[in-house]
Amino acid sequence: MITLENVTKVYKGDVVALKDASCEIQKGEFVFLVGPSGSGKSTMIRLLNREEVPQAGKIFVAGKDINGLSSWKIPYLRRNIGCVFQDYKLLPNKTIYENVAFALEVIGRPKHVIKTQVPAILELVGLAKKQRNYPDELSGGEQQRVSIARAFVNRPLILLADEPTGNLDPATSVGIMRLLDRINRTGTTVVMATHDRGIVDSMRRRVVELDRGSIVRDQVRGVYE
Amino acid sequence: MALNVDYVARETGTNLVRNVGLTIATILTVVVSLVLVGAAFLIRQGVDNAFTTWRGGIELIIYLEPTATPQQTAAMRTSLADNPEVKRSEYVDKETAYKEAKKLFKNSPEMLSSIKPSDLPPSFRVVPVRGDVATVKVLENQYAKSAGVREVFSANDTIRTVQAIAGFISNLVVLAALILGMTAAVLILNTIRMAMFARRREIEVMKLVGATNWFIRVPFMLEGLVQGIFGSVLAVAVLVFGNNLFNSQLDKRGIKLLANFAVSNSDVTGISVILVVVGITVSVIFSGIAASLYLDV
Repeated sequence: MITLENVTKVYKGDVVALKDASCEIQKGEFVFLVGPSGSGKSTMIRLLNREEVPQAGKIFVAGKDINGLSSWKIPYLRRNIGCVFQDYKLLPNKTIYENVAFALEVIGRPKHVIKTQVPAILELVGLAKKQRNYPDELSGGEQQRVSIARAFVNRPLILLADEPTGNLDPATSVGIMRLLDRINRTGTTVVMATHDRGIVDSMRRRVVELDRGSIVRDQVRGVYE
Repeated sequence: MALNVDYVARETGTNLVRNVGLTIATILTVVVSLVLVGAAFLIRQGVDNAFTTWRGGIELIIYLEPTATPQQTAAMRTSLADNPEVKRSEYVDKETAYKEAKKLFKNSPEMLSSIKPSDLPPSFRVVPVRGDVATVKVLENQYAKSAGVREVFSANDTIRTVQAIAGFISNLVVLAALILGMTAAVLILNTIRMAMFARRREIEVMKLVGATNWFIRVPFMLEGLVQGIFGSVLAVAVLVFGNNLFNSQLDKRGIKLLANFAVSNSDVTGISVILVVVGITVSVIFSGIAASLYLDV
């Protein structure tokens, strides 16, 4: 599903974010990216979403070389990739329902699809009762659920999560992880960058550890260390 | 990809309302600049109407007798062609003269109905090498007594002065219109930029979930289009009103001197169409540029 071949990404001022990184992720896998701040986790997520382009190496997503993708095709790549962030990125002037519906609306899904999909996904994340609320009326955990609902409503092949529990307390984080686990069980490949030792240790999934831009460990059923 | 009409209309409306102050400023600038462009056109048209025959450096018109023989006409033609003081000359036959008369008097059909092509004298329009008064006078005297010539008219100083002033004014107005037009374009650019900045979070999310660039752009371009439409329609309204006011003042005060400057409604319509097309095209192009330039918010 995802293949990185000797990928190197250098930011301005010779800041090396990724150095000769190679790794392969199969369809339906759940992968943790771990490592200290600045080790290249977020860069890897941004490369997979084609927000960044590497200086060297190749990246394949769903069998396509995404570096060579012409810019008008990028939106179609992103429709297969859901994204969840530490800061949720919800739109404050839209209700929960509208926030999720927006994701379908802007890729041109017809109204009747939106009307059935959005309540279904909100039901799945356990927020059916808060459809009419605005983001600032929800707790952090609930807001993150909305953002997961938005990322998943289009049933993407891949879900990228950049520290989704970074702003949440441990109990709430467990709830978010259960949700991501459930999404993974539907066959969606999940790649999650995290600092959260407790989560990684309890889930026992594949762990890819980065250190100063290099992959230093790739372990099936691994722990944080 | 099918653009959702509902969505586009809603987004465009929100953008326009959110930036209402800037929207009004932009529309007004579009109006003023288009009115100036239109006014320049109307002034030119008015002057052209008043001096249809005195255009393109023509300083001298030699009217032949309506009864002049072909030999006399040919002799005149040869004489003009051989004259070193004459740069070029143009023969205007009866039919052409009638056509011009029709144009000149299209606002007074009763006048037109009283003339026939055969009544009108054929003429030579002469462009001299040097356009100064002395040379023209010499040429005038030279041809006034030739066979078959009825009368020789030369462009007098008044006509020259009016033409020069009108040309100067209309150039000045065109210059002002150009500057204001650029201001309007930059304002449109800026309005769209502000609108996009105000919506940067939406745009970020849209890009993230895979909205195409065109989908993101269209509401902003429509915002520019709406400004262009409002601006040019208002400009046309101002222009039509202004022209009618000018014409009614001419009638009411009986200013015969300026009567020839009146511009017909069909000319105003033509100019209006040009203004609307220019207004809309410029605003769409500039909002499109803005929507592409500032998409990376």
